[in-house]
Amino acid sequence: MPGISYPKEVIKDLVEGKLPWGQLKSIISGYKDDDRFDKYIEVLQEKVPWKEKILLPLSFDLYIVQKGTERIVKCGCGYEFGDYRENWKLKSLIHVRDSEEEVDELYPYPCKPDPEYCEIREHYCPGCGTQLEVDVVPFGYPLVFDFLPDLDSFYSEWLGKPLPQAKEFKDLTYELSRKWGEESRSR
Amino acid sequence: MKQKSIRKGIGWGGKTLKDMCEEKERLHKQTGCYYGLNELPLMKENPLKLEVLASRLLAAVIAGRETTRMISASPLVRDVAELAVALYTPEGDCIIHSTGIVIHIPLIGQVVKWMIKQNYEHEEGINEGDSFTSNDNYIAGMHTPDVYDIMPIFWEGEVVGWVGNVIMEPELGALAPGCMPSGATERFVEGLRFSAEKTAVNDKHTKAFERRICLGCRMPDLLLLDRKGALACNIKVREEIKKIIKEFGVAYYMAGIRELIETERRAQLERVKRRTVPGKFHSPTTYEMYLTRTIAPPHHAIDNITLVPCDFYIKSDGTYYLDFDGAGSWHWHSSNTSPSAIMGAACLMLTQTIAYTGRANQGTFLAVKMNTPYDTFVNPSSPNVASGMFFSWPIMGGAIWLGQQSRAFFCRGFVEECRAPTPLGAGASGVSALAGRSHWGMDFGFQMMEAPGFFGGGAFAIRDGVLSDIIFLPESDMGNCEVWEMVLPLLWMGRRFVPNTCGWGRYRSGRSLMGTYMVYKTELLSLDTTSMAHCEKIGANSGMFGGYPGHGGFGKIVKNANTIELIVQRKPLAHGTGYPGVGDLEENIGGDLIVPLANAYVKGIFRHGDWFQGYMGTGGGMGDPIKRSLAAAKEDLDSGVISIDRCRSIYCVDARYDEKAEEWVIDEKETEELRGEKRKERLAKGIAAKEWWQRRRQDIIEGKLPPMLKEMYNDSLAKGKRWPGEFRGFWHLPEDFTFSF
Repeated sequence: MPGISYPKEVIKDLVEGKLPWGQLKSIISGYKDDDRFDKYIEVLQEKVPWKEKILLPLSFDLYIVQKGTERIVKCGCGYEFGDYRENWKLKSLIHVRDSEEEVDELYPYPCKPDPEYCEIREHYCPGCGTQLEVDVVPFGYPLVFDFLPDLDSFYSEWLGKPLPQAKEFKDLTYELSRKWGEESRSR
Repeated sequence: MKQKSIRKGIGWGGKTLKDMCEEKERLHKQTGCYYGLNELPLMKENPLKLEVLASRLLAAVIAGRETTRMISASPLVRDVAELAVALYTPEGDCIIHSTGIVIHIPLIGQVVKWMIKQNYEHEEGINEGDSFTSNDNYIAGMHTPDVYDIMPIFWEGEVVGWVGNVIMEPELGALAPGCMPSGATERFVEGLRFSAEKTAVNDKHTKAFERRICLGCRMPDLLLLDRKGALACNIKVREEIKKIIKEFGVAYYMAGIRELIETERRAQLERVKRRTVPGKFHSPTTYEMYLTRTIAPPHHAIDNITLVPCDFYIKSDGTYYLDFDGAGSWHWHSSNTSPSAIMGAACLMLTQTIAYTGRANQGTFLAVKMNTPYDTFVNPSSPNVASGMFFSWPIMGGAIWLGQQSRAFFCRGFVEECRAPTPLGAGASGVSALAGRSHWGMDFGFQMMEAPGFFGGGAFAIRDGVLSDIIFLPESDMGNCEVWEMVLPLLWMGRRFVPNTCGWGRYRSGRSLMGTYMVYKTELLSLDTTSMAHCEKIGANSGMFGGYPGHGGFGKIVKNANTIELIVQRKPLAHGTGYPGVGDLEENIGGDLIVPLANAYVKGIFRHGDWFQGYMGTGGGMGDPIKRSLAAAKEDLDSGVISIDRCRSIYCVDARYDEKAEEWVIDEKETEELRGEKRKERLAKGIAAKEWWQRRRQDIIEGKLPPMLKEMYNDSLAKGKRWPGEFRGFWHLPEDFTFSF
């Protein structure tokens, strides 16, 4: 059976939430298209104002891109967060909603997070002020690393297109926090 | 030499069921394939024939499910469809299942496997026409109200399979209110318990079983008729399977069901490779329990919060791996969870998101592995702990897990499958368990299951969430008010949306409904906040990509209400809620307003004319709210989803109301300015992560946390092997760091 495929324009409208419901429903209910990833990347690449090759989108606004020999997380606005294996939130701007007024704005009825126990952390892009992620976690919980992709396995084993300069599949977040900790101690 | 006596088994080919299980395990271990099926000869030779077999089996279980609904008297079955039916191999592996509460599908199979291990074959005896009933979560299960009826299928004297049926019961004769009471801390007060017991012989329930039901609970008619419905279903499915075997031949059937499982195992791995991205995801969930507020015995009346971190791996071989290292201790309450419940959650999640072809079965579950450390919240070491809400992780953590999988869909480009979680964090609500004297003058207890139909599900990556969308019940339905009114001493006064409660984002969650009820013709009614995954202090982390987590659930009650007076004076009553502070319950009804807390019996007796409202919360939003389209914002204003003040502050969309046209008109220029200002405000008030990290680290070192949180962290630090190193590593703390008091 030949693989299902949709025109790039359809994928573009799908990604932008512009497809009419009937067409969207048939895509949801139908067999999945084999070439989705390639067309998706093409659509996203045309959307961003910069030239680095997108390796993987992480969210509406964040992308892992190839920059020279490095793979970094980059915002749609162009702001660069650093190595994709390090939680990008460590390079974000953080605001914690900890006043009654700020909590009530989102949760006006009984049952709302208690700032003494819970942090509503808003992560903003330092480049454009976009709200990239909101985490609601117990007070003092480490920054949540939502997703560390195994990029090399993905490209080589699943897509059959190995990436240059393979990187170890390793969470580098702790190296940065150790550096910060050592800086604090030396001060 | 003494000759070893060989007892013929009742399994296929004269083997014992135990031998069949061992052989299956051995072959799987050797080859990685189900039953050692490296090759799929039937599929290769004639795939259409195998397809026809699968379709016939599916039709059989769906027909069985509908049979139950025709016989049952419970609104949970007839209206809300809290049931499911599945077909199993002789070894207890699922071959195919109906829709419904599919969270139980692998668990019914686990009960069969337990029976085989316990040597039912030679001790209790397994015969044609037998039926076994189980709701014992020590064996397998999600919570006590979900009762399994399981029947063997014989062909020429040999077991060729099992049919299993699950139904949720609203009353089981437990500690009031009778189903999953917040006061239960041990299994001994959870009502009728059937531990995979033989309850029918020759297709007929035993009198002892019927008497036990009649004498063992408050509403025996419902429980008994549900069992009759399940028995009829199982007989119907069994007979249909026999017809299918007659048509296809037993050898083909037995080989075919194994190939269907192996085919699905391979298909699941392939689906994962084609639709996701491998890697590691992380998300914590917390479980708040306040046993001091309920009627737990003194030695169990302890308040605590338990942390359950979860690492979810999509591996490059296509398997899923869930690692619960760092999960805190289990406690004496009903809301721990169990490995079997988590496997149920896997079935529930996968069948709705990736394995939705109607073919999910044991092959799907074989592609999921997990680490559930013993003697923790996810794997309690005492068989005596209450299990009324063993599905606490599935409804809370499971929903968050779904969000993690969604990230993988999004990354791969399948944006239409990506959605924010809809966790059932019951918050301080769940005023949905009732007990006392009914309007028919009879003792009753009841777990009302209207709420699943009330949920506004999490936002999608390309559209808003929808109503009646809750992960644990794929066919969420709020049921008919008139039917609920026949069973419960309540009048349904309203089902209305509550403004300003969505999980906000570029795409918002669905809207949720609030139920408003007047207590009717009873002088003796008690209310219980159902013991669920409470979020009284710590919300559920359900937002994605910059969207906000949804609102938690809540309830309101008016006791000693002046309703009769209001009716005589023909004054307005209550039907819903308006904007915050102007709810019609508070505005119109005189009496004592109570906002119930989480995990508590509501103090006092409620009578005719009293009121309560229940709201169960919403799923998360998706994307930065200031990127919501203006057309969508206008629609939200026009339909009352959001008030103008929050529309301005959250969406940063300004509008004015056109009285003549009766609609909102967006002010695009002002909106652009508001959005620009919001970005500037964020850049000004957001602090660099490094600075935030330094401040928070200092808070941790100085122990500036409430004692319950310190206990929570210390517990996980003591229990975990890997997670404690990550916690201490992130905050650059000494290797032996714990919080002191």
